[in-house]
Amino acid sequence: MESRQSSQSLQSTGSPESAEHRQFRAGVRAWIADNKPAQPDFMLPQSFLEVETEAQFDYLRRWQKQLYEAGYLGFDVPREYGGQGVDSARQSIVQQELGRAGAPFFVNQIALQWVAPTILTYGTEEQKKRLIQPLLSADEIWCQGFSEPGAGSDLASLQTRANAVEGGYRVTGHKVWTTLAHFARWMILLARTDPEADRYGGLSYFLFPMDTDGVVIQPLVKMTGEGGFNQVLFEDAFMPSDSLLGAEGQGWKIAMTTLTFERGAAQSQNRERAAADARALSELVALVRSTMRDGRPVGDDALFRDRLAALWIELEAIRLGARRASVAGLTADHPHALAMMHKVEFSEFRQRLNRLACEVLGPEAMLWLGDANAPDRAEWPRGLMNSYGFTIGGGTSEIQRNIVGERVLGLPKSK
Amino acid sequence: MTAPPSTSNPVSAPVSVEVPAKIPDDFGFTDDHALLRDTARRMMVDRCPLSEVRRLAGDPVGFDPDLYRELAELGWTGLLIDEKYGGAGLDTLSMALILEQTGRALLPGPLWSTIMAALAIDSAGSEEQKQRFLPALARGEAIGALAWSEPGGSWQPDGVNATAGKSPDSDGDGAGYLLDGVKTHVLWADRADVVVAPFVIGDELSLFAIETATTGLAIESENSVDPTRRTARVVFDRVRVPEKARLSAGHAGSWRALHVRGYALLAAETLGAADAILALTRDYACERIQFNRPIGAFQAVKHPLVNVLIAVERARSLVAGAVAGLDGPSGAEISPAVEISARMAKAQATEALNFAADRGIQLHGGFGFTWDCDAHWFFKRALWSAATLGDAIHHRRHLAAYLLGR
Ligand SMILES: Cc1cc2nc3c(=O)[nH]c(=O)nc-3n(C[C@H](O)[C@H](O)[C@H](O)COP(=O)(O)OP(=O)(O)OC[C@H]3O[C@@H](n4cnc5c(N)ncnc54)[C@H](O)[C@@H]3O)c2cc1C
Repeated sequence: MESRQSSQSLQSTGSPESAEHRQFRAGVRAWIADNKPAQPDFMLPQSFLEVETEAQFDYLRRWQKQLYEAGYLGFDVPREYGGQGVDSARQSIVQQELGRAGAPFFVNQIALQWVAPTILTYGTEEQKKRLIQPLLSADEIWCQGFSEPGAGSDLASLQTRANAVEGGYRVTGHKVWTTLAHFARWMILLARTDPEADRYGGLSYFLFPMDTDGVVIQPLVKMTGEGGFNQVLFEDAFMPSDSLLGAEGQGWKIAMTTLTFERGAAQSQNRERAAADARALSELVALVRSTMRDGRPVGDDALFRDRLAALWIELEAIRLGARRASVAGLTADHPHALAMMHKVEFSEFRQRLNRLACEVLGPEAMLWLGDANAPDRAEWPRGLMNSYGFTIGGGTSEIQRNIVGERVLGLPKSK
Repeated sequence: MTAPPSTSNPVSAPVSVEVPAKIPDDFGFTDDHALLRDTARRMMVDRCPLSEVRRLAGDPVGFDPDLYRELAELGWTGLLIDEKYGGAGLDTLSMALILEQTGRALLPGPLWSTIMAALAIDSAGSEEQKQRFLPALARGEAIGALAWSEPGGSWQPDGVNATAGKSPDSDGDGAGYLLDGVKTHVLWADRADVVVAPFVIGDELSLFAIETATTGLAIESENSVDPTRRTARVVFDRVRVPEKARLSAGHAGSWRALHVRGYALLAAETLGAADAILALTRDYACERIQFNRPIGAFQAVKHPLVNVLIAVERARSLVAGAVAGLDGPSGAEISPAVEISARMAKAQATEALNFAADRGIQLHGGFGFTWDCDAHWFFKRALWSAATLGDAIHHRRHLAAYLLGR
C-alpha cells in the first residue's frame, strides 16, 4: 500500500496565522483606521501612474512617510538600510490591510517595489546605505528611465548614451513615458555605454541624480487629461562614477531583474493588489445593487449577473493564486507561471471590472470628471481609461504573453 | 477601479467578495501529498497512456478491471473512507491530487463514481449500512455509482421526482420500499454493484443504496459522448427494495453536501485533463513546422495557449482553495463559503477544459480533426464534464445569487 499514510502525517505544516501575527494585524488595522487621511478637497489620482499636482503629491508623500515612521513599511528591507528587518508575513499583512481599508497608495511605488530590491541585489554597501532609507520614507522619489521613443517593447534597442568621462559619465538622449520624473530625486537609467558591443552587452544601469544640469523634464498628458508621466531629455548631463549599479555592460541583466519585480515577482505586492481588487469588486457589487434600469434593478438582469459572477471567480483565482505562488508543492506543474502571469491577470481583470461598471451605468457612463451628476464622480470611466496604463506600461499584455509562452510553456521565440 | 485609492468612491457599504473559507496558507499541502501525487502521476503514465485510453474507448467493458484493482490496492478507491471500514482515511486534498492525475490520463473507469457512492453511504448511512458497503467499495471489490440526475436536465440537488413509498411485508421478506422513477446519465451504473440514488418520500428527500442485482431494476446503457465515461439510464418501475436500502441519515442536507464534494473532486479531475491537453497541444506547437518555423512561434498560436495556461492555473488555484475548504473545520457541515469555493472551482475547471480542448483541436489543424489525433478524447471529456454536476453558467448563476444576496 504505497500511498497509504496515517492521517496524522498529513497535518499541515503551515499553520494559520500565528497569535503574534494576528495581534500585529489587529494593530495595523487599528492604526490605519486612526490614521487614514481624510478625503482631500481635490481629486486624487487612481494610482501612482497619475500623480500630477503638488497637492496630490504632498498628500500621498505625507501618507507614505507617516506609515514608514509608524514602523509599517520596509519589511522586505534589512534594518541596517532603514527597513524593519525582513519579515514577509508582516509585509503581506500590512499590504492586505492597506488594500482592504482602501487606504491611499504609496507614491514612491517604483522605488519601493522595484528599485529597492534591485539595489539590494546589485548595489554596493554605500549605495544601499545612501539610497534605501530615504526611498522608504518618501523623502526621495524615484522614476524609471527605460523607455524611449524608439524603444518600447523592444527595450534593448534604446539609444540613450552614457559616455565615460573623468569622474563619471555624460548622458545624452531621450526617455519617454517617465512616470513621476517631475517629482523624482533619482532615476534608474538604462543607457548605452558601449555602442560597439551587441545590443544587450552595450547597456549599463545607473542610479541617476535628477537634480543635474542638462536634464529637461516635459510633462505628457494622458488620455484622461491627467498628467503623471513625462519625457526626459538629457543634454550632456553629468553623473558621478558611483552612479553605476553593478558593472558596465551588466545593464540588461539588472534591468531584467527590475522588470521581474515590476511584473509581479513580489508576492506580498500581489497580495496587496488582490486585496485592493477585492475592494474594487465590492464597489462594483454595490453599484450593481443600487443601479436601476427601466424600473428594475440591474442586478436582476441575468446577463449582468453572469458577468459579475465571472469577475468574482476571476478575483478569487487571483487571490488564491497570490497565496499558492509561495507553496512549492502546488506550483510544481508550471513553476513561475503564477508570478509571470500576474501582470496580465491583474491588469486585464481591472479592465474588465471597470468596463462592466460602465455598462452597468448605462446612459450615465458618458458623464465625465467634473460633471456634478456623474455617478461616483465618473471614477468608473476614468478607471476604465486608466486601466490601459497597466495593460501597456511595464511591458504590454502582448509582450507578457510572449514571455509566458516562451518561458513557462517553452514555446519557440516569436521573431 | 485601479489601485487602492478608493477613498474617492462614495458607494454604499460593500458586501464581502472575499470568500471567507478558512484555509491554511499552504493549503494543507505537505511532503506526503507531493509523494502521493508523484506516485499517482507515474502510475498513470506507466499504466494509462493515451494508447490505452484509445483501446478502452472501443472496449465493450470500457475500462481495465485489473488496473482498477491495482488502484484499489494502492488505496485510491478508499482514500477518503475511514480506516475502520477498510479505507485510508486521508484528506480531500490527497484525493484531489490523485483525481487530477487520473484526469490528466483520462483514466477510463469507475474511480470517481465509486468514491462518490462511498462518500454518500459514509455520510448518510447507518453503522450497519457502512459495514455492509464501504469495505467492499474501498477495497475495489465492488463498484459504486451515484445517480445525480433525472430526465428533464436539472443539475439542482432538489430536482428529484423519483419517489419511494412504504411497501408492507407482502411476500414475507420484511417491510420495504417501492421505488419509482428514472435516473439518467448514471456513470458506470451498468458495471456497478450498488447505485446510490435520491428519492422523494412524502415531502422529504432520502438516499437509497440499491444493489444492482435487485429484481426489476432496469439499467439501460446510454451512448455517452465520452466513451471513457460509460453512462446508463436506471429505470425504477415499482422496484421493491428492503427497508435497509434507505440510508438512515440521507436527508436533503447531506445530498447537497455531496454535491459540493462532487463539484470540487470533479473539478480536480477536469483540471488534470485540461493541463494534459494543454501539454499535448504545446508539444505539437513546438514540433509542427510551417513557413519554416514551429507553429508555436506564431503569436496566433502562442497567445491562445498562454490564455489556456491562465485558465488552467486559475482552475488550479480554485481547486486548491475548494479542497482546502472541504478539509477545513467547516468541511463536514459545508458552509456557504465552502460551497462558493467548490462552485467556483467547478465553473473554472469546466471552462478551462472546454477552452483547452477547443484550442487543442484547432491548433492541431487537419490532424486535430481526425480520429487518429488524441485531442478529441479531451474534447469529449470536456463535454461530459460540463454536462455533469453543472456547467460554468449554472454555477455562475448560483454564485451571483450569493454575491447579490438574491
Ligand atoms: C501609464 C504608463 C506609464 C509608463 N511609465 C513608464 C516609466 O515610468 N518608465 C519607463 O521606462 N516606461 C514607462 N512606460 C512605457 C512602457 O513601458 C511602454 O509604453 C511599453 O513597454 C510599450 O512600449 P511602446 O509604448 O513603445 O509600444 P510599442 O512597443 O510600440 O507597442 C505598440 C503595440 O505593439 C505591440 N507589440 C510590440 N512588439 C510586439 C511583439 N513583439 N509581439 C506582439 N506585439 C507587439 C504592443 O503590445 C503594443 O500593443 C509607461 C507606459 C505607460 C502607458
